[in-house]
Amino acid sequence: METPETFLDFIQQQSGKLLEQTLTHTGLTFISVLLAVAIGVPAGILITRRKRLSVWVLGFAGVMQTIPSIALLGFMIPLLGIGPKPAIVALFLYALLPIIRNTFTGINGVDPSVTEAATGMGLSRRQLLYKVQLPLALPVIMAGIRTATVINVGVATLAAYIAAGGLGEFIFGGIALNNTHMMLAGAIPAALLAILFDWLLSLLQNINVRKARKMLYLLPVILLGLSSFYLLPNTYHSKMLAGFTPEFMGRKDGYLGLKSVYGLRIPTLVISDMIMYKAAYEKKLDVISGSSTDGRVKAFDLMVLEDDKHIFPPYYAAPIVRNETLQQYPELEPALNRLSGTINDSIMTELNYHVDYLKENPEKVAKDFLVAQKLWKPAGSRSKGSIRIGSKIFGDGYILANMYKMLIEGYTDLSAVTKTGLGGTKIVFDALTNNQIDMYPEYTGTGLLVILQAPQQVTDSIISDPQKVYDYVSTGFKKQYDIKWLKPIGFNNTYALMMRRADAEKLHISSISAFTHYVNQQ
Amino acid sequence: MIKLEHVSKNFGPEKKVVNDISFEVAPGETLVLLGTSGCGKTTTLRMINRLLEPGSGHIYVNGKEVRQLPPETLRRSIGYVLQNTGLFPHYTVSENIGVVPTLLKWDKARIHERTFTLMDKLRLPAADYADLYPHQLSGGQQQRVGLARALAADAPALLMDEPFGALDPLTRISVRKEFKALDEINNKTIILVTHDIEEAFELGTRICLMNEGRIQQIGAPADLLFRPANDFVRSFLNPQRLQLELKALAIKDLWTWLPAHTSTSNTVPLTAESTCWEALETLTSSPATVVYQQEQKVIDGNGLMAAIAACKK
Repeated sequence: METPETFLDFIQQQSGKLLEQTLTHTGLTFISVLLAVAIGVPAGILITRRKRLSVWVLGFAGVMQTIPSIALLGFMIPLLGIGPKPAIVALFLYALLPIIRNTFTGINGVDPSVTEAATGMGLSRRQLLYKVQLPLALPVIMAGIRTATVINVGVATLAAYIAAGGLGEFIFGGIALNNTHMMLAGAIPAALLAILFDWLLSLLQNINVRKARKMLYLLPVILLGLSSFYLLPNTYHSKMLAGFTPEFMGRKDGYLGLKSVYGLRIPTLVISDMIMYKAAYEKKLDVISGSSTDGRVKAFDLMVLEDDKHIFPPYYAAPIVRNETLQQYPELEPALNRLSGTINDSIMTELNYHVDYLKENPEKVAKDFLVAQKLWKPAGSRSKGSIRIGSKIFGDGYILANMYKMLIEGYTDLSAVTKTGLGGTKIVFDALTNNQIDMYPEYTGTGLLVILQAPQQVTDSIISDPQKVYDYVSTGFKKQYDIKWLKPIGFNNTYALMMRRADAEKLHISSISAFTHYVNQQ
Repeated sequence: MIKLEHVSKNFGPEKKVVNDISFEVAPGETLVLLGTSGCGKTTTLRMINRLLEPGSGHIYVNGKEVRQLPPETLRRSIGYVLQNTGLFPHYTVSENIGVVPTLLKWDKARIHERTFTLMDKLRLPAADYADLYPHQLSGGQQQRVGLARALAADAPALLMDEPFGALDPLTRISVRKEFKALDEINNKTIILVTHDIEEAFELGTRICLMNEGRIQQIGAPADLLFRPANDFVRSFLNPQRLQLELKALAIKDLWTWLPAHTSTSNTVPLTAESTCWEALETLTSSPATVVYQQEQKVIDGNGLMAAIAACKK
């Protein structure tokens, strides 16, 4: 691992990036607060004069506040795409409620005899507002701005999910990579920013407005200045823009490998995989780090670039079965092996597309496929015994488990039950070793890195050769767990770099090397 | 000069808060609008500076119908004093007093001079009080600042809405006395709202007693006291009748009923313009000598009380 020894080492090593993220974070926070002040304070003033509107305006702002932040960011994508725009709008909506409500409360809280005296002495409505109501409501309004700012420093971390940058990149990268230093490098500055801004605004809260009127005029200037930090990192020159998940950004078999092995130099945005595919389709991003058999590859007409230098570890799927079971029912292995070689990457993508995107029943998708392959047979007597098939919660697993059930029942006299949705690798594998299930489909890469946890030098030496990895896990599983890897099914569900098919064809790019050549040329 | 002609005001379709009010107040005169809570006196006052719009009828201030002027212009020409002062908490005392002159765009030196003059007249020496904020003042001092603010632009008319109502009784009496003695108010048209009968009798040139939105009687204090227009007026004044009568009657009014004593030991001088209330205060310690129309009488407490009783018959 490349994780530096101490937290301070990490900070030192990543200081450039940390500064950039902090500035972006500050910019995101203040540009949205500034907008919220510009809209929220007049809105608050308006509803003190039109009381009937206040229910609607406060209601709207209140509803915005209750939408979970990640969902609000999600809603923004179809409207505004990815990047800073939707993030700023979402943050703006979050900041609105405290500012509108405090303006409303602050102005309504001014002693009515003071406003009556002011009106009675002949102040116009405008003079009443600027000379009396706003100065007296200022501490309350400033408290609202403080609240909004602190909320936004927190929510802005989520902006990293939609490629708007900020300290969330470190936080979510750290979580994905289980890298505490990286996580803290994002979380601690975010907390410090919140405290710092709150303190600075508290200084403004209780100043005497009339004595320090010039200071008050400075406020928008300061806010604008802080907002403009956001513009600094936005200096991309390349025609191509990459969007990678936080996890991919930090992995050696991810972005780091792309840089060191392929020599790729490309501006990157950090983005959640939930929205990455769609963003690529909508031309917000040009290249993304996807999963090669994800249904959305087909749904959004993306093309997987060939990993011609083999930096992504092979994740070939194959059924793994308890040897005990295989010995008890010798007819099981040939039945399961019938699936081998029938599903390549694009077929698996297609199948996932039917389940994930078209929302078809996995059982139906499995049967349709087997029928088309002329592998489907009606169930036999089911009299001999029962095989328990497990799967993880991901799409691949559901479909494969159903196929295996049909194959077992069609080609043997055994019956089969599926136990799908067993969570992640750890849960389903423990179920297998503890004889809760007899088999489940697993990936070679997972067997190597997660279950066997092969030493670094072994991994490095075999990672580029799928056959060697398969041999290593077969041997290892047999020796350690008495579990057998049957023949691989054929597809490789690994990391992949992908771009829009139309672009790839137009530019004649089919491999990562060709892509790198094209990008670095610019 | 302030003039109301058949002014009415409804809150809602049914409730007539002010019902056909007409009166005229001349410069130098103080008209007191007197009545219980909800009688429409404050509503009447607030229509004059258009904090409320009259429902029907006409209101003239300094000869102009109030609706012909923009409300801000109208209000800047009328001083306004409120019960709770309504001082701006974020303005200093001198800034508070200078609000209307600033609105009228007086130059700074003039505002400064005017502010300081008024502060001295109201026993708030500028050197000590100019830069204080309202919350640093006592209730009586705040009310004096409120008075000074209303007088600052030297507006010809002054509206006062229970100006001394929030003060404790002792402070109220002293602030009231100071107000009465101010030369600033000499030529102003003043309308003062109160529910305090004693205050009305002390400050009012004329009193307008209201009930349920209607004028019950309008006239000099003595008229209400001795020639009540109806039972409402009589019963309204009854609880304080004796005290009011003592304050309303001067020695000269009783002159014919006073016995012509001539013993002159240990008397103090008293003017014939003194009220009976003031005379009784003096007479508790010793008899007094009064000269009226070249005739001299020595009076004591008993003689005075007998004269009052005789006069009322």
